[in-house]
Amino acid sequence: MEKKQFIMIGIAIALVISVAAPFITSENPDGLESAFFSIYGAKDFRGSELDEEAAEAAEAKAVAITGNDFSFDAPLPDYGIEGLDKPGEVLAVVIGTILTVGLAYGAARVTARPDN
Amino acid sequence: MHIPDAFIPMGQALAYWVIALIFIVLALRWARNSMGEEKVPLVAVLAAGIFAMQAFNIPVPWGTTGHLLGAALAAIVLGSPYAGIFVLTLVLLVQGIIFGDGGITVMGANIINMGVVGGFIGYYGYTALNGVMNNAYIAAFIAAWASVFVSALLCAVELAIAGTFPLVLGLVSMGMYHAVIGLIEGGITAVALYLIAAARPDILERPAGVAA
Repeated sequence: MEKKQFIMIGIAIALVISVAAPFITSENPDGLESAFFSIYGAKDFRGSELDEEAAEAAEAKAVAITGNDFSFDAPLPDYGIEGLDKPGEVLAVVIGTILTVGLAYGAARVTARPDN
Repeated sequence: MHIPDAFIPMGQALAYWVIALIFIVLALRWARNSMGEEKVPLVAVLAAGIFAMQAFNIPVPWGTTGHLLGAALAAIVLGSPYAGIFVLTLVLLVQGIIFGDGGITVMGANIINMGVVGGFIGYYGYTALNGVMNNAYIAAFIAAWASVFVSALLCAVELAIAGTFPLVLGLVSMGMYHAVIGLIEGGITAVALYLIAAARPDILERPAGVAA
């Protein structure tokens, strides 16, 4: 396989995953969130039910413990675009993938070992 | 495993940032000394693939989900633990700043857990196991699994220091969930390594052990 072809196929695979991800991704909490919610009583360790009220209380409790109430409005919170539902999610992840390609290409380009 | 801002006090979060910055500088030095210009497109593709895969949460038992972290894969493919730090730092920056996934003040801790631990355990686990068992894919599977498991334990320790998790319960909870979630990391890392080796065996930094 040509190098250029390899790179194009790689980017194509990343974009296909980006488009598919919002449809197949699970909305359940991740491992860290699950540990947090089960320790704070919002979820049974092995259960799949999340007590939304207890989950919110747990989050408030964490802020009270650490005193870290830093917050900032991300432009595309939770990999979505307000009011656009699923298409917005697809667009958000695709935008993220393209941004990541650009940023990584730029960062690698600037920092790479010069070949000559 | 993206820690949100609320989980770690500001002072500790800044301390993790300082440690993370030291590793970022080392990663930049690795790039300057060892990452040839011909690797630039590969780094970009790996970062994009890892970002996209991280948006895909795969359900696991006990009502939870996991996704690829990718530092072990980047480190194995590019032949250095610093490659994992380099790529994960960029991915975490995009996730944190654009999507609010993972905190800003605690991003240093996330870079340490996922990039530094993932890169070092992934890379050295892989090279050590590959030397012993001479099967690159099983070595990659185990090393990638271990990278997630160790990251999770370190995360539990950080959250115990923060006062957010009790130490033992935190270690047990994080360890048990991520012992399962790590299987996702192992599987995807081994498959991705196989596909890369099949398409471009020359692209791997250590092609010797990988028979495509």
